[in-house]
Amino acid sequence: METEALALMAAQSPDAVILLTPVGSVVHWNNGADAIFGFTADEARGRPFSELVIPVDRIDEQRLRFDEAIANGASTYESVRRRKDGSLLYVDVSTRVVRAASGASFVLSAEKDVTHIKVLRDAKLMEARFRDLLESTPDGIVMANPTGHIVIANSQAERLFGYDAGELRGRSVDMLLPERYRTAHVGHRSNYFLQPRKRAMGSGLDLAGLRKDGSEFPVEISLSPLRTEESAFVMSAIRDISERKRFEKALQEKNQELASANQAKDRFLAGMSHELRTPLNAIIGFTGTLLMKLPGPLNDEQQKQLRIVQSSARHLLALINDLLDVSKIEAGKVELSFEAVDCGAMVGEVLAALRPQANEKGLDLRIQAPDLPIIVRTDRRALSQIIFNLAGNAIKFTESGGVALTLREDDVDATRCIEIRIDDTGVGIPLADQERLFGAFARVNSGRPNAPEGTGLGLHLSQKLAELLGGKISFRSESGKGSSFSLILSER
Amino acid sequence: MAARILVIEDNSANMALVRYLLSFSGYVVLEAEDGMQGLEAATEHHPDLIICDLQMPRLDGYEVLARLRARPATANFVIVAVTAFSMPNDRQMVLTAGFDGYLSKPIEPERFVSQIEAFLPAELRALDRSSGD
Repeated sequence: METEALALMAAQSPDAVILLTPVGSVVHWNNGADAIFGFTADEARGRPFSELVIPVDRIDEQRLRFDEAIANGASTYESVRRRKDGSLLYVDVSTRVVRAASGASFVLSAEKDVTHIKVLRDAKLMEARFRDLLESTPDGIVMANPTGHIVIANSQAERLFGYDAGELRGRSVDMLLPERYRTAHVGHRSNYFLQPRKRAMGSGLDLAGLRKDGSEFPVEISLSPLRTEESAFVMSAIRDISERKRFEKALQEKNQELASANQAKDRFLAGMSHELRTPLNAIIGFTGTLLMKLPGPLNDEQQKQLRIVQSSARHLLALINDLLDVSKIEAGKVELSFEAVDCGAMVGEVLAALRPQANEKGLDLRIQAPDLPIIVRTDRRALSQIIFNLAGNAIKFTESGGVALTLREDDVDATRCIEIRIDDTGVGIPLADQERLFGAFARVNSGRPNAPEGTGLGLHLSQKLAELLGGKISFRSESGKGSSFSLILSER
Repeated sequence: MAARILVIEDNSANMALVRYLLSFSGYVVLEAEDGMQGLEAATEHHPDLIICDLQMPRLDGYEVLARLRARPATANFVIVAVTAFSMPNDRQMVLTAGFDGYLSKPIEPERFVSQIEAFLPAELRALDRSSGD
């Protein structure tokens, strides 16, 4: 009768009452153990106790306690257990060695779930110590113990997740996470307590918080371990980043819009170029056939007028080409390929191309260059375009005298400088025009009768190209006394 | 004997210009107003050289090229693109596609015929014939 009563007591105790073999295998597993740990007696029987409910980081401790019980006959301690679902709980354990009538010995372990009591006790301590401090930070702060239960949450956190004051105390932190994150989170948490370290905001993944009403919001979380005499805790600072996510999304959309607007612009420019060239082909072409006198002879006036048509058409073509170049530079789409370029040879080529124009006006065209070749690493096409432009301008704006190109090299503070200077004896640039000389469509002398025509983009383009090459164009000029343009390329 | 040159060009003013320059130099000019006509004319007449615009209704120049190159009988035709597409990449694109040459519009009337003649064997150049006159 007494045995039966004892058996009944053991079976019906709200605490877990477990009988283990001396090597720790489960022999008996009462209803209380089922309720606390989630394993049924059938599931538990015959399996090692430590495999069932001891968290990885507690295995050594458990072994120590178990050996202690065997050696001393009894042992009482507080520890952490893991339920079948992976969640952790605190238990008060009382163990003793018992001997059966057969003479075989067993270990009897009575384990009481003290998770809630412990959390409330911790909460009280932590409240007293940290409440004021936590209320003073702008972020939501949640502190949890190693079993993942909230010991303290500041009011910012309560507001963030939609809970009343104190409502979060003692609850599992998992309830602040959407369902899909929870399983992984349990794993993360036990790893975290094995190797606690500071993890800053923004170093994490895209995380979401779950409000009491079931809605989610994007969060950024930083973690830091906090060790007190009583226990280890983890402090999470939580920031709602909905606003920032919205900005980021808006910014991303804006970027996409800009990119497609840019593509549309490129297509438009290419299309425009194509459409303008098509009629220019017939204009320049037939003006050419007439001037070549293929259909028959021309009188002087016809020839003069056709020359005007031809130069105007060519001007229009130059304008289209320059505009395309400018828009390419502004869109950052110029592809440069740097290679060793012989400056002297390049200047010579450009002058050879321009010589007919100079001869036509009776101008003296000359180069001054050192005997040794000056080699510079640069983009051939861009450099040639700049020299062509500057020298072409010089010839265009000079009626008598000449144009001189000077090439020289100098070292300034360990930097190699190459100067290509173009001096002319032309009309010069009025002081009033000098400031805006490199602007787009900054045509000077436009008020003068018979002023030479330009696209108004040549210098603008040249300066931009010079900058791309790591150089600069400067000038000195006096109205009526000629100009001097200087391109300086520096090489470290 | 001067070459027969097929010009595929949808813009009538530009067609008139090319026709004038080539016939003036003594070439026989065959004309097609779009890619489809050009393809048919090329297949039927086997011209000595084809000058082809790129942007055209029905079949564009690239498609004409691809279809001619796809058939053994027309695969080796000499085809020069003459186009107002003159962005820096366009020449590369045209040559990569398999055209034998690229000339950009506006053409230079003083040089156009000699540029085209560079793609003809000596015996088909009109200059040889006129010098023999």
